[in-house]
Amino acid sequence: MAYLFKKVNYFMKYNFIPILISVLLGFTLISFSSSTLEIIITPRFNNKSILETDWYVTPTKDSIQFTKIKFYLTNFKLISNNGEIKVLENSSYLIDIFKPETLKFSLKLPHFNNNDKLYFELGVNNRMNTTGAHSGALDPSNGMYWSWQSGYINFKIEGVSPSCMTRKNKFQFHIGGYQNPHNTLRNFTINLNKQNLELNLNLEKFFEFTKLSNENQVLIPGSNADQLATVFYNAFSVF
Amino acid sequence: MNKNIIYGLYFVLVTICSSFIVIKNKTLIFNYPKYWPKPLYQFSKLSMSENEFQLGRHLFYDPILSKDQTISCASCHLQANSFTHTDHELSHGIGGIIGKRNSLAIMNLAWNSSFMWDGGVNHIELQALAPISSKNEMGSSLNEVVAKLNSSEKYKALFFNSYKDSLATGQKTLLALTQFTVMLNSYNSKYDKYIIDKGGDLFTQQEKNGLNIFRKNCASCHTEPLFTNNEFRNNGLTLDPFLNDYGRMQITNKSEDSLKFKVPTLRNIQFTPPYMHDGRFQNLKEVISHYKLGIVHSKTLAKELNSNLNLSHKEEVDLLVFLRTLTDYEFLFNDRFSYPF
Repeated sequence: MAYLFKKVNYFMKYNFIPILISVLLGFTLISFSSSTLEIIITPRFNNKSILETDWYVTPTKDSIQFTKIKFYLTNFKLISNNGEIKVLENSSYLIDIFKPETLKFSLKLPHFNNNDKLYFELGVNNRMNTTGAHSGALDPSNGMYWSWQSGYINFKIEGVSPSCMTRKNKFQFHIGGYQNPHNTLRNFTINLNKQNLELNLNLEKFFEFTKLSNENQVLIPGSNADQLATVFYNAFSVF
Repeated sequence: MNKNIIYGLYFVLVTICSSFIVIKNKTLIFNYPKYWPKPLYQFSKLSMSENEFQLGRHLFYDPILSKDQTISCASCHLQANSFTHTDHELSHGIGGIIGKRNSLAIMNLAWNSSFMWDGGVNHIELQALAPISSKNEMGSSLNEVVAKLNSSEKYKALFFNSYKDSLATGQKTLLALTQFTVMLNSYNSKYDKYIIDKGGDLFTQQEKNGLNIFRKNCASCHTEPLFTNNEFRNNGLTLDPFLNDYGRMQITNKSEDSLKFKVPTLRNIQFTPPYMHDGRFQNLKEVISHYKLGIVHSKTLAKELNSNLNLSHKEEVDLLVFLRTLTDYEFLFNDRFSYPF
């Protein structure tokens, strides 16, 4: 026993400093070999910023004002040129257009090369919809979860328009549904060639095919939700 | 130097040992009979600790979950009735609003593949969201509940005990409720004792006859040992024109699911009247006479019900006597599940 302690003592005295240096060096190397990717979301309506106080005119000539625009970006994965896939754990983000702090976030990625790809999903996938209560952005208390039927609401767009013959002239789109044939999840795969990624949302495109006097409430999964999920997806462009 | 190291090691050893003792005291054991299938629920997010169980128990019995502090889970799920609402065909919520359905009994939830009469909820951890958010029940939202819990000194302490963090979140609130409700297991009925005894003398001849009649006529849907096959069936009830409840179809939007409802467990059936999704039958005699004479034939009717249940008066009595052997008094009167305040 005493011998062992002597050994430890010896070890501490003579080998400690080089070991410490190499450990520190190792950490530095690890931190250098990972990179940060900044994601910036820019919401626009007819090339103007979207404000709660402003009115906008849709391509189908409805005047509208927004009260809520929220959506999920989730399940980020780095796909290397050689086909290797690295899943970024817990990469779920709830974007709220009226909360500027949610329009920008950074992802810690393992080192990546030009032509590596970033995969992510618009909405919440089947696995997260069927494995109970989650935390953080996916906490059901965020108001993006249905209660009478299990499932996340992938995106919400709400506002008012004089075209809507509804209570308080409201329009409401709560789009979700994770089961086939009306799975409303959509995904992006993007080439990574710089340190940030700009995701532009041109929200006027969401109203290209919708006349608000006819269609102003979609609140359940189904074929309408499925179509609107595609329309919303197409309103994004990535740079 | 040597002495210091020895003291250091000693300290580490004591810490490790004492933490083991603490962990051992806190761990709940999830028990069930050997002849039961494995539970479907994975338990991966639960701490299985006594503290989380007690937090869930407090939440279950606390009207803080409802908008106006009047309705708790226990308002419609009373332990003495195997956690359902007796004497109410349809359950009522805040402001005396009458709901659309008869509350289901709560037990053996870890074996359920879906929840609610229409199976709309796909996971036990999310079940509580439905009554919390329904305007006919608690009329609140998880968000509102979490805010109330975070301004309560009592819950700050209970959350801290459970999660080493006094901040309540939606996930933790739901997990605590799960930790309580998943432990509400009923497996100590006379039937269970008879099965464990491998068909000994625990059953009277009449109860044995009843079991045989049950196995011949009822068990294809009310499958032993949980007395449900977890599926949805149209059992030939007429549509109530005031409720217009098409059951499973409202979730799946498929016409083949029209008028289908979850096959409920029959455990503790003696204490869970009224029966059916809309509570239309007041007693088990009425239920049996429905299967004998009342079946409405339609496209989606369960194929097992194409021909009427054919029982003599004596057989009917034997069946009713057997159904009473599914009562589990240890469950109905277990202090650990009762009002905690």
